Amino acid sequence: MKYFWLSFKAIFVKDIVTELRAKQVLPTMIVLGMLIVWILRIASEAATKVAPESPPLIGAAALWIALLFSGLLAQEKSFATEHQQDCIYGLLLAPVDAATIYLAKLLVNVVMLCIFELIIVPVVIVFFQLIVPDRWFTLIAVLMLGNIGISAVGTLFSAIVQLRGSLLSIVVLVILMPMMIPATSALMMLFAPSHSALVPVSSFASAIKYMIAFDAVFVTACWLLFGFAIKE
Amino acid sequence: MTAINKDKEKDSADNAAVSVDSVSKAFAARLVLDNISLGVAQGQSVCVCGVNGAGKSTLLRIIAGLMQPDAGSVRLCGHNIRTNPEKAKPQLGVISHKSMVYPDLTVFENLSFFANLYGVKDSAARVDELLEDVGLSSYRYDRATILSRGLLQRLAIARALVHRPIVLLADEPFTGLDAEACQHLISVLANFTDNGGTTVMTTHDINIGMKCCDRVVVLDRTRLIFDAMMCDIDTISFTQDYLSYARNKN
Repeated sequence: MKYFWLSFKAIFVKDIVTELRAKQVLPTMIVLGMLIVWILRIASEAATKVAPESPPLIGAAALWIALLFSGLLAQEKSFATEHQQDCIYGLLLAPVDAATIYLAKLLVNVVMLCIFELIIVPVVIVFFQLIVPDRWFTLIAVLMLGNIGISAVGTLFSAIVQLRGSLLSIVVLVILMPMMIPATSALMMLFAPSHSALVPVSSFASAIKYMIAFDAVFVTACWLLFGFAIKE
Repeated sequence: MTAINKDKEKDSADNAAVSVDSVSKAFAARLVLDNISLGVAQGQSVCVCGVNGAGKSTLLRIIAGLMQPDAGSVRLCGHNIRTNPEKAKPQLGVISHKSMVYPDLTVFENLSFFANLYGVKDSAARVDELLEDVGLSSYRYDRATILSRGLLQRLAIARALVHRPIVLLADEPFTGLDAEACQHLISVLANFTDNGGTTVMTTHDINIGMKCCDRVVVLDRTRLIFDAMMCDIDTISFTQDYLSYARNKN
């Protein structure tokens, strides 16, 4: 167990330091996220004339679209450094379990998404005039569940894409679809409680349960499959 | 170029540092290795020669556990690399023409990272010792990305030795190195073997291979066609025979 923590910490710290120095992932995420939010903000302004109460609903969607696409873009690069100079073989030659590599990479991706959210969430709240009175903790919980789901699948597929050169990113979007429905519904109910009847999931609690179940299933499945993904 | 000393195959006993037993590998319909057996005793340095596409790198990747053979097994110091990797992997260090180090980490950070992965005790002291050995002490705070090819190869050597392995695999380690860097690498390999380490190296440059090894093995497409100790062969006529064979193959 001590050895697990030692190698887990080594990989986690290495990835964070590498990213902070290379500055490849976060700037890309922020630019793409801002662009998505800005475009949807323009659409929202037009929609307000037809349906004055649409901004909170579009805001919820804008936040998830920005998180999903920026997250996947960033995660595709999370194995790019391992590909340079065949570093992945350095990892595989060490007596480190593939599961440890996966969990460390997963945590790095979750942390990157959290940093991104610290920037993008206030922007979305201001742009779409969202009101989150006394429900900050709930908002953070929903976003964290979404983070974990996106990162769980994204980490596995980034390894496959980088090491095997397949264009499998599109598959990630399909796999994440069952989580994006309750995730978007949860934020719509949070930002516009009066329109709860319009969302596809029956209640906020059901949406959270779906997201927890998705995270549990996909973190476990991807953790088990990761060893096969990175070995030739 | 046709004789194989059968005595060498007897080395593939359990006490050999590297024991390759009846390994075969094919990529789709193309057979790359066919029933290869090779035993390397502790302290021995073996040069695996062959033309491009002979299967040298595939053999080394299978020994390292990076690739699974279709048949046969590999044991490092008696531990099967597939079924007992947690015991086999710490015995092994690997150098290739790519450094396997992170460009955005410093020299010290790279070595500390790998030392931690292998659970090296007092990793900072071990890294300092290695930096001194390979002559990189003055570069310890420099990022790997600014190092020259020769310095990067020194860092790669330090990375491969950070956990004090017993077996060192070197896949075309001299590629892209200048004469001084080649000489440094030869002395490091010699030092490693003198201290009881076992080296298996691939190269297509027979001259450099003979300089730093005490046994030479020639791998033709799919099979071993020559295996002899350096002390048992006439190096000049062997080199001529090998170069003539390589020209015909290419």
